[in-house]
Amino acid sequence: MKFHIYQIVISAISTVMIYQGIENYIKGRNNPTFLKLLARIIVWGGMALITIFPNISTTVAKTIGIEGNINAVILIGFIFVFLMMFKLLSAIEKLEQQLSEVTRSETLKEIKQK
Amino acid sequence: MDSVEKSRIFVVIPAFNEESVIQAVINEVRGAGYENIVIVDDGSTDNTFQKARKAGIIALRHKINRGKGAATKTGIEAAKLLGADIIVTMDGDGQHDPENIQKLISPIVDKECDVVLGTRLLDPKGMPWHKIFANKIGNFFTWYLFGLWVTDSQSGFRAYSRHAAQVINTKADRYEYDSQVIREIYIYKLKFKEIPIAVRYTEYSMGKIQKQGIANGFKTLYKMVWSLLF
Repeated sequence: MKFHIYQIVISAISTVMIYQGIENYIKGRNNPTFLKLLARIIVWGGMALITIFPNISTTVAKTIGIEGNINAVILIGFIFVFLMMFKLLSAIEKLEQQLSEVTRSETLKEIKQK
Repeated sequence: MDSVEKSRIFVVIPAFNEESVIQAVINEVRGAGYENIVIVDDGSTDNTFQKARKAGIIALRHKINRGKGAATKTGIEAAKLLGADIIVTMDGDGQHDPENIQKLISPIVDKECDVVLGTRLLDPKGMPWHKIFANKIGNFFTWYLFGLWVTDSQSGFRAYSRHAAQVINTKADRYEYDSQVIREIYIYKLKFKEIPIAVRYTEYSMGKIQKQGIANGFKTLYKMVWSLLF
């Protein structure tokens, strides 16, 4: 099996990213959750797999019924990016609400103490 | 008016960088006969808070800017803690005429309803056309998303009974707050009434950059949709 340079580079980057994710999860750095680790493995692992075995995308395309392996990869990528965006937006919204609550309770302290 | 003492009526004014007009707004509210004034300075970078505090009213301060909705909610919470029976909310830029407060609170005093919405569109004289247009779009989306038709979903000049103030608990922080209140009126089946109010559009109030513009309008719409989804 002959490897191209781009396959080696992407595989190396993916390996480092997955290794860092597992290390963070085990050592408890950066608020690790299993979901975060899983997302990292799926994104980087998927990228490495498709780079090393390009035929996988054809199998995936056939399985979901899309013509053309590139279309399948792009579609799955888009779906994943949208899911991540929704998750991020929900987290930001929740943080914003918590920030307002903290600000409010701090502001009302003066009245409550009277 | 006899059934509710004036000492139980609180006027809540959220303010952000209103240093140049806040004293005049306070004077006008006092002139209309209301002494319980709660100003919530929403993390202003000017001397709004200092001026409000100097005026001898209840001046509160958000350490960081959280938006008009968040400041209004803080003011309402403060008024509830201070024993308010009726809470009036109005803008801090002087566009609302405190002489209209009497009209707003009368239906609550007479126990006709729980919430009174001041509406600019029942008599839009002097209102710029683009404001009328933007308000109608806001009304449409509020009705479409939240199920209740009102003639001015974006008006900040409103009055609430204590019961309404306790029931309404929106988490909206910014301009979507006004629409979210309409949603809660609908959800909790609160009785409401719309009363025409006069609005004074001055060069000052029209010139403020944080006011609802097109970009903010889209942001408000996005937040309204988001609140329904999550």
